Amino acid sequence: MSTVELHTLTGAYALGALTGREAAAFARHLDRCASCTQEVRELQETAARLALAVAEVPPADLRTRVMAALPEVRQLPPAEQGTTVVPMRRRFGHRLPYLAAAACLVAAAVAGGYAVQARHDAHEQRDRNVRAEQQAAAVSALMTAPDATFHTTALKGGGSGTVVASKRLGRTAFLYHGLPALSGQRVYELWYSRNGQMVPAGLVETGRSSGTLLLTGGPRGADGVGVTAEPPGGSSRPTSPPLALLGV
Amino acid sequence: MPVAARRGDRSSAPYAGALESLLDRVSRGDQQAFESLYTAVAGTVLGLVRRVVRDPAQSEEVAQEVLIEVWRSAARFDPRQGSAMAWIMTMTHRRAVDRVRSVQAAADRDHRAGVHGYTTAFDEVSEQVERRLEREQVRRCLGQLTELQRESVTLAYYRGYTYRETADLLGTALGTVKTRLRDGLIRLRDCLGVSA
Repeated sequence: MSTVELHTLTGAYALGALTGREAAAFARHLDRCASCTQEVRELQETAARLALAVAEVPPADLRTRVMAALPEVRQLPPAEQGTTVVPMRRRFGHRLPYLAAAACLVAAAVAGGYAVQARHDAHEQRDRNVRAEQQAAAVSALMTAPDATFHTTALKGGGSGTVVASKRLGRTAFLYHGLPALSGQRVYELWYSRNGQMVPAGLVETGRSSGTLLLTGGPRGADGVGVTAEPPGGSSRPTSPPLALLGV
Repeated sequence: MPVAARRGDRSSAPYAGALESLLDRVSRGDQQAFESLYTAVAGTVLGLVRRVVRDPAQSEEVAQEVLIEVWRSAARFDPRQGSAMAWIMTMTHRRAVDRVRSVQAAADRDHRAGVHGYTTAFDEVSEQVERRLEREQVRRCLGQLTELQRESVTLAYYRGYTYRETADLLGTALGTVKTRLRDGLIRLRDCLGVSA
């Protein structure tokens, strides 16, 4: 096949529409063709958007099965490509520390949010799992939204929080980690700041130190998200100074 | 992905979004990071596999294999080659296609169901608020393609046909399908505002 003919295969390659042998031949061509490589990259990103458009809520037992399999699976070392491979740690280390922090918080949130509650009966457990997966799907959509923003900060009094917001989806999530229990059965309450007004946006489940909370209402028109400690049941306006203020 | 989208240039600077950072931690054996990554991508992995494989039980099986493969090969991800999402979805599509191509010869497959598959590919999805906007945007952009571009792209991607099979199904010359896949995808890229 001529080079020109090969070049027109970028689309078929990006969509996985070549046979194994053709794909291998085209991959060899990519090694020598910088413009094809760039085009394939963009078209593969485009194909991933086609995938995002058909996302589903996975059944809860898929998570269980996948997580249970991990200890048995030996992880591959990084590819040996001489000098071109830089350890990822270094690549990411300085670049976006707040994202690493966010990822860390998400990890904690997920671990906290989906830990198996052994004492619940099976039925309740199933309902919980379904809700957890729906919540996970919402957080997933948020995290992969093209316009998602991440803001992380430490809370006065301990713990930290990350606000993930997408104006396009009209959704905001608060991922929290290591929140200390509050005295007098007070609760952590989330607020949107809109034109200097604090609008209630949800309560962190009592007794939970790490997790994810989808805020009530979207980020549009909000200039920030605040966290305060409030009496049991929450308040309609803040009764204490903010423990944290984050951008959206 | 968000960071890359905002960056707006077309250089091959490494992707450094939340998913990429999670993958980095996964590559070092961090199971909590993997569970977060699972939360972010499992629904998309399963959704894509379901479009290609169709059979629900087999789809879950393939999705499970893919997700475990992400854990296994996380260290092989190179953010200079593209986003974590694209890496995972390329792997997902390949596995799904391998499954259908090995299980049955292309001739056995339900061609008729496939030809107008792009509409059902969307209708089958249970409605979910967070995904609706993404879906609507993709649908709108698919709507801007010519019929041949749209059918070629959706048959290849959502049904897992090779471009030869796609050409057979559409009764179109091989070279035409090849170019329609490329120019269709380029038009989608521009419509969706994808940068890499």
